[in-house]
Amino acid sequence: MLPNPLALITEITHRCPLHCVYCSNPLEMQKAAAELSTEEWVRVFREAGKLGVLHLHLTGGEPLARTDLTELISGARTAGLYVNLITSGIGLSEARLAALVEAGLEHIQLSFQDSREAEANEIAGTRGHAYKLQLSRLIRQFKIAFTINVVVHRQNLDHLADIITMAEELGPDRLEIANVQYYGWALRNRDLLLPTRQQVEQSQQTVAAAEERLRGRMRIDFTAPDYYARYPKACMGGWGRRLLLLDPAGQVLPCHAAGVLPGMRFDNVREHPLDWIWRESAAFQRFRGEDWMPEPCRSCERRTEDFGGCRCQAFLLTGDAAATDPVCTLAPTHGVVEQALNQISAGAVPSSIPPVPANWIYRPNPGAMSE
Amino acid sequence: MPAPDPNSKPRLAAGCRWAEANGSERMLMFPEGALRLQGTGREILERCDGQRSVQQIVDEMQAQYKTGESGRIEQEVSKFLESLQQKRIVDF
Repeated sequence: MLPNPLALITEITHRCPLHCVYCSNPLEMQKAAAELSTEEWVRVFREAGKLGVLHLHLTGGEPLARTDLTELISGARTAGLYVNLITSGIGLSEARLAALVEAGLEHIQLSFQDSREAEANEIAGTRGHAYKLQLSRLIRQFKIAFTINVVVHRQNLDHLADIITMAEELGPDRLEIANVQYYGWALRNRDLLLPTRQQVEQSQQTVAAAEERLRGRMRIDFTAPDYYARYPKACMGGWGRRLLLLDPAGQVLPCHAAGVLPGMRFDNVREHPLDWIWRESAAFQRFRGEDWMPEPCRSCERRTEDFGGCRCQAFLLTGDAAATDPVCTLAPTHGVVEQALNQISAGAVPSSIPPVPANWIYRPNPGAMSE
Repeated sequence: MPAPDPNSKPRLAAGCRWAEANGSERMLMFPEGALRLQGTGREILERCDGQRSVQQIVDEMQAQYKTGESGRIEQEVSKFLESLQQKRIVDF
């Protein structure tokens, strides 16, 4: 029997004051005019609650760019959902935070780009670091769960110990340290972001020591870079198995990046009930279960653990969305990943941001894009 | 990690709450997930109200489960609360 989805991730807008070089939004972003209305979002939250969804993750773009965020939060709570806000914090005043908490916000995840201000601002393409520090102290005064998120990569992994110390001083309940995943914007910037093997090994030791030291005070969640793993990640807990993602215009996808897959049609909550999209839509059924799997996945013992890895990564690196995720050391196409790693260790790509502005490809603000 | 002080008063951490999902089943919601607890786990956690001390929770559990050895119940409550604190679900 098909299980209920556990979580709903909503990109409520693609507008954002930051331009992070590894943004998880698609390269083709939705414009403000295409966004679902307040009423449409609240209806979707009710449908999600009925479908058995437990957690709602409000993300973007920058969700604070929606002026109706307070109404969205209270609508989601009324629908019985647990409400988490994933934010850069830019634009969040004390009064607005108080209103969000009053409306029922339960958990806030605040992103940092680095512990060093200049580097953080370079990655974000915005001067936001100093404000994030101030905001963290403000958040701690409210009775909500607080997580600091830091995306790590070659340019900041050498400061990981400082990043952990920074978080420790700001006092969140959790610190999430996630290695960049290479889709969309991050894939375009991969030569500047992919860490070295030495950095990866060092970071694992740094995290293990910090976990030991901070046990009971600050929980650390660490996501290793899958390019260096032996086996792929269980992307989204399996295609159409646990999660639904809505883009700003109401398209429902199994993950952040699935829009890149060719020949896929993603249904919209403006046209179909969420329940139907989850159970019946072609997109959610496309890679659900094991029928689509090629060898070596089909006969692999791990197929019920990692579900063949990530379909988007398979497509982006091999051109075939139904291939075994090439990060898997058993995949026939694993060579494409090894080649990328060899380039890093051979120094064929710059090892750090050059003194002149690096060739970052920044994510634009869709509100500011010309037609 | 020291065992919780018998006089401390455990309570649910910020961002953690009970929820009745789909009508009947009571779940503990927290930022990364939800726990469906039954039996003693649920009985202990339901007593983490910021009013009762660890000692009181142990006493109440002992009164309820008269057959249990007193030392074992104390140890189990303590271990359970410690693991929930590490998950940032309980504060004391």
